[in-house]
Amino acid sequence: MPPISPVAEASPHSARWGWLLYSFTRREILSRYAGSFTGVAWTLLHPLAQLAIFAFVFTQVFRVGVPPDYPGVAYVTFVAVALWPWIMFSEGLASAMGSIGANGGLIRKVAFPHRLLVYASVLACCAVHLVGFLAVLLALKVMGEPIRLSGLPVAAVLLLPYILLATGIGALLAALQTLLRDVAHVVQVLIMVLFYASPILYPASLAPEVFRKWLLVNPLAWFSERLREVLLQGSGLVAGDAIAALGCVAVFLGGLWIFNRLSPSFEEFL
Amino acid sequence: MLMRLRGVSKDYPKVATGGDRLRTLLALLMQRRDRPHFRALEAIDLEVKRGESVGIIGENGAGKSPLLKIVAGVVRPTTGTIEVNGRVGALLELGSGFHPDYTGRENIYLSGALMGLSRSQTQAKVESIIAFADIGEHIEEPIKHYSSGMVVRLGFAVATTLEPELLITDEVLAVGDESFQKKCITWLERFLAGGGTLLLCSHSMFHIQTLCRTALWIHHGKVRMHGNAFDVTREYLTYHEEKSVSAPATPALAQGPVPRIVEIWTEDDAGAPASVFRHGASLVLQGIAYEPDDRAPVILMGITRLDGSPIYGAHSNETEYQPARLSQRKFAFAVRFDALELLPGKYRLRAHTLDAEGLRVFDTVEVQIVVTGESRDYGVVRLPHRWLAGRGVLRAPHDATIP
Repeated sequence: MPPISPVAEASPHSARWGWLLYSFTRREILSRYAGSFTGVAWTLLHPLAQLAIFAFVFTQVFRVGVPPDYPGVAYVTFVAVALWPWIMFSEGLASAMGSIGANGGLIRKVAFPHRLLVYASVLACCAVHLVGFLAVLLALKVMGEPIRLSGLPVAAVLLLPYILLATGIGALLAALQTLLRDVAHVVQVLIMVLFYASPILYPASLAPEVFRKWLLVNPLAWFSERLREVLLQGSGLVAGDAIAALGCVAVFLGGLWIFNRLSPSFEEFL
Repeated sequence: MLMRLRGVSKDYPKVATGGDRLRTLLALLMQRRDRPHFRALEAIDLEVKRGESVGIIGENGAGKSPLLKIVAGVVRPTTGTIEVNGRVGALLELGSGFHPDYTGRENIYLSGALMGLSRSQTQAKVESIIAFADIGEHIEEPIKHYSSGMVVRLGFAVATTLEPELLITDEVLAVGDESFQKKCITWLERFLAGGGTLLLCSHSMFHIQTLCRTALWIHHGKVRMHGNAFDVTREYLTYHEEKSVSAPATPALAQGPVPRIVEIWTEDDAGAPASVFRHGASLVLQGIAYEPDDRAPVILMGITRLDGSPIYGAHSNETEYQPARLSQRKFAFAVRFDALELLPGKYRLRAHTLDAEGLRVFDTVEVQIVVTGESRDYGVVRLPHRWLAGRGVLRAPHDATIP
């Protein structure tokens, strides 16, 4: 029987929520593989299959070439460098959006900051896919592709605002989705549009001149191009990265502001 | 002051249509109040002192759950303020905060994190939680395979480990089996004796009377009555009694086709309702029984300690006694103890109905009494005795032989 008298002091807030965030993230990662035989392997197999399909379609059927400013880079490598971050972004977004609904039972019965659920979904996605990303980069490097591993720290710096962007939009969508059930359907379509509107399968230079300047307003296009420059051409950080990062932080704060404003009412809608 | 609610109201949005949802979303973002809503709680004032446990009663949908959720911090009140000066442990409905795909053990860790315990703090308590829940091997199985009783056992075990100063429970005692209920009540009594405070929502007036000093009756989102637990529960039962009388569409079935005790209460010498008696004073146990065949039922009366262990019991058919017929199928009975020889402490008075033949026990209703007074005696009851001058020599009585 649990003792009654001696009082266990609850930890201070920040440490307390840090541990809870860790628990949520861990749960999120583990529950992806609960009940599956191959477990973590799926995290890698799924994007690999996607990569293989794209490689086949765009090199054998449509014959898209890698632009000449990426000498010696195979199309597979060209796509892989942008594809993993995209998967991280889109999956993170989707699972953040669903995180409030999926944990309705918890929200209706326990008091805790709901934003931790959004953070945990994004973190779990990032953790899983970053490992996959690194594995693929190393494999390609071993196969002789000109990947500059020295660019990895810069790539990490670039990915950070990218993750913040996913978290901010994810928080906004999670809040809206809880109140308006239509959001998920709209977002599904938008994500598909965004995928093809971003230079992931093709280089930005291949897009018609009219669209190109619009293309780079899209932060995903910016990050895709930049990651290629860093990992395949050895570029360092540029001024534009700081602007992009500021934009991402703004989106993150804005999304979170709306989320926090709506989150006391989640319980009423679940 | 442990907890104070001032003018707390709670509105829930009406979200039947997409348009309503959109209007509500905009109103929330602009922080306006003009959204379609219905009022679940209205202007609740409640103060709970440390160690003063409060029972919350009311019909389904009266607003008990929103009230508990507001105190637990899960829900923010629409208007009014809430102040809680202490650690709150909440057990709201079945399996609060458990993840169905996770094993019992993993859920203990997650719940620990939700309650603000660190990993090592949780680790230190895991074994005692598992022991208290007492669900054996199932602890390593996913919660979704648990029976509802097992979920409640684990939930109760987890909620009590934080050693909350204010424990909020929402109708959870009703789910566990008899032995677990007993375990919970024992724990709660120890918790209360140790200065803990309980906010108990229950449909069992017996639990409310046993565990709470005061009770709050919520009716259509408003406080209908607040005061002594025995008074409030009695009013509440009377209300239901009148309601079932005025609703003739559900007669015998709703009453149950078996004999039962409608109500019992205790009175002092003057016939006034009382639950506190001085040692040696008179106590009258009054009750109303229901007998579906309109035959005078046999009443079994008894006194137990708080843990249920019997002290004394007697049948009404040991003499020619017959309960008085009040109206159709209703009988009144009373038992008088001229000088209550129970030693100071808390006791339960029980009444059971038996069928007219006195063969089958159908129902048990209990009330709690407190006996006050100063006594240096030991045990539970004073047996008549007197002290004599000792003789100092063993002498065989002349009418008996000692081998």
